[in-house]
Amino acid sequence: MIVQWLRKNLFRSALDSIVTVVVGALSIFALYRLLRFVFVTGRWDVVRTNLGLYMTGSWPAEQLTRLSTVVVALAFLGGLAGGFAARQGDDSDDSEVEPDERSLLARAGSLLLRLWPAVLTVGLLLSLTSTIGPWILVAGVIAAVIIGRFLGARIPARTSPPVVVGILMLALASIWYLNAGVSWNNWGGLVLNLFLAAFSIALCFPIGVLLALGRRSEFPIIRGVSTVYIELFRGVPLIALLLMASVALGFFVPQSLAPGNVVRAIVIFVLFTSAYVAEIVRGGLQSIPKGQIEAGKANGLSPIPITTRIVLPQAIRNVIPALVGQFISLFKDTTLAGAAFSFTDLLSSAEASTAQDAFRGQGLIAETLMFVLLLFWAGSYVMSQESQRLETRLGVGQR
Amino acid sequence: MSSETEGVATGEVFADATQLGQGAEAMIKLEGVVKRFGSFTALNNINVQVARQEVVVVIGPSGSGKSTLIRCINRLEEHDEGQIWVDGVELSDDLRNIQAIRRETGMVFQQFNLYPHLSVLDNITLSPRLVRGQSRSEAEAKAMELLERVQIPEQAHKRPGQLSGGQQQRVAIARSLAMEPKVILFDEPTSALDPEMINEVLEVMTDLAREGMTMIVVTHEMGFARQVADRVVFMASGEIVEVGTPEHFFTNPTEPRTQAFLSQIL
Repeated sequence: MIVQWLRKNLFRSALDSIVTVVVGALSIFALYRLLRFVFVTGRWDVVRTNLGLYMTGSWPAEQLTRLSTVVVALAFLGGLAGGFAARQGDDSDDSEVEPDERSLLARAGSLLLRLWPAVLTVGLLLSLTSTIGPWILVAGVIAAVIIGRFLGARIPARTSPPVVVGILMLALASIWYLNAGVSWNNWGGLVLNLFLAAFSIALCFPIGVLLALGRRSEFPIIRGVSTVYIELFRGVPLIALLLMASVALGFFVPQSLAPGNVVRAIVIFVLFTSAYVAEIVRGGLQSIPKGQIEAGKANGLSPIPITTRIVLPQAIRNVIPALVGQFISLFKDTTLAGAAFSFTDLLSSAEASTAQDAFRGQGLIAETLMFVLLLFWAGSYVMSQESQRLETRLGVGQR
Repeated sequence: MSSETEGVATGEVFADATQLGQGAEAMIKLEGVVKRFGSFTALNNINVQVARQEVVVVIGPSGSGKSTLIRCINRLEEHDEGQIWVDGVELSDDLRNIQAIRRETGMVFQQFNLYPHLSVLDNITLSPRLVRGQSRSEAEAKAMELLERVQIPEQAHKRPGQLSGGQQQRVAIARSLAMEPKVILFDEPTSALDPEMINEVLEVMTDLAREGMTMIVVTHEMGFARQVADRVVFMASGEIVEVGTPEHFFTNPTEPRTQAFLSQIL
């Protein structure tokens, strides 16, 4: 069996065999170097010592409880939303989606399979910590998600709008509570990257959709404004915009009116990414056959429900891969804000840690950067996996 | 209007498309309707009336303006000249007026145009809920009745993509019926179907006609025209060439263009 498979797939012809041997040798060599670096030559003390810095930057130690509370609260809200959404999905086409009757163990298994990079990374982080706090936090998050899902699945489906608004308000309130304890200037580490990305994604998506609709509007003014906006912000480098907001904003706005750095960064990310989202969504809108709109019209629907109930749902599900790509890109680009605004975000903290007295001049940049790469990769990979799962659930490609 | 009355038994044929039978009330009336696409004239001075509960079948070669004619009635195309009335309301540019007419007018398309992201049930209930303000349970009960009527209640929770063409078209008919329209426009409803599925759709349409639905049907199904139509309208080059009862039309057409068309397809 195995021999046949090898012959068929790797050694079919002389050229095949050469390619297989060369690529195989290179891969093994690369893997060997990597593993040697991770387990033998790498000096990971710098990461172990600075783990707190990488995670939260210069976050005041006495405020860490506040942060943990909010993280657990957000996990609970996320679970609540997830459970509620899953149930909504079941309601709309109950014959297709079988209620999840797999055993708890099987469900945990498939969850592990889906989220393994995140699980692995969290496990690595926990293994590097020396205090009990992070363990409690992780346990709290897991418990909060499970309880949230359980409760979310029991909210009656027809209460959808107030539930969605309620969850969003509570999420915003928890951010406000966090900011009341620790001002923006002290935010940092991975927490800052995640916060910038999550907030910017949440804002740029609806704005991008509106811009896409605006660019196809019948009204010349709306169309003109949307087009100019999109072409303007797609045509400039993100880092230049960030530097502008960081350094040059004072030339345009009086210092007293200028918002804090984190807000400025979010505004720039939203301005920039919404232009891309708009073009992606516009592509989706163009993929919807004219007959769909005609059917809606003939069926007595007015323009707004035709857009919100017929065109947009189909358009957006057609462009989920491109949208998620854009969001992943935004997540990684939050490191640019670190550079432009001198935030102590994950990447800046990692760089700074190599200049500490204990580690200076030891060439530890490879270790710290490797760690940064791992965290970003795990986050991006989970986003990508979840988007593919969403596509399957929504039945993309099987109209 | 080029149709003529000679050689036709009175009372059997409404030779002029603007004339209705005795005491009949116009559900749809078109007067001098002209539709141009650029320099091409798709409809040239169309005058036609359709009575309440009447079934009018429109036939003619492709490009003759049949589809454009019925698409003007619910404003999927905007006519350039002339006037159109639906149940006494004149079609104007006012969006509310257009909406009012569309609410009373069902349409069934050649390509079905079901909403692929919604279940069959949601396809049918979307407009009744959003436009008529029906509750979900009310709309779904009505939708199930309609699915019984088109004989596919067991498909209610599937997506359109999981259904055969004939089933999809029957769902489309149920969807337009859910708005309780006064008239249904059929735009070549069987042209995209595999041959073995045409009959199941035609049967549903025949039942509808028997129950007294006012229908305008653009089709190439001559059997259906012969058996179900009250009147047949023959169009060519954007004009109504001849109008008559099926009997007149298929046994004794007056116009040379009608004769030529029928000799090609029969």
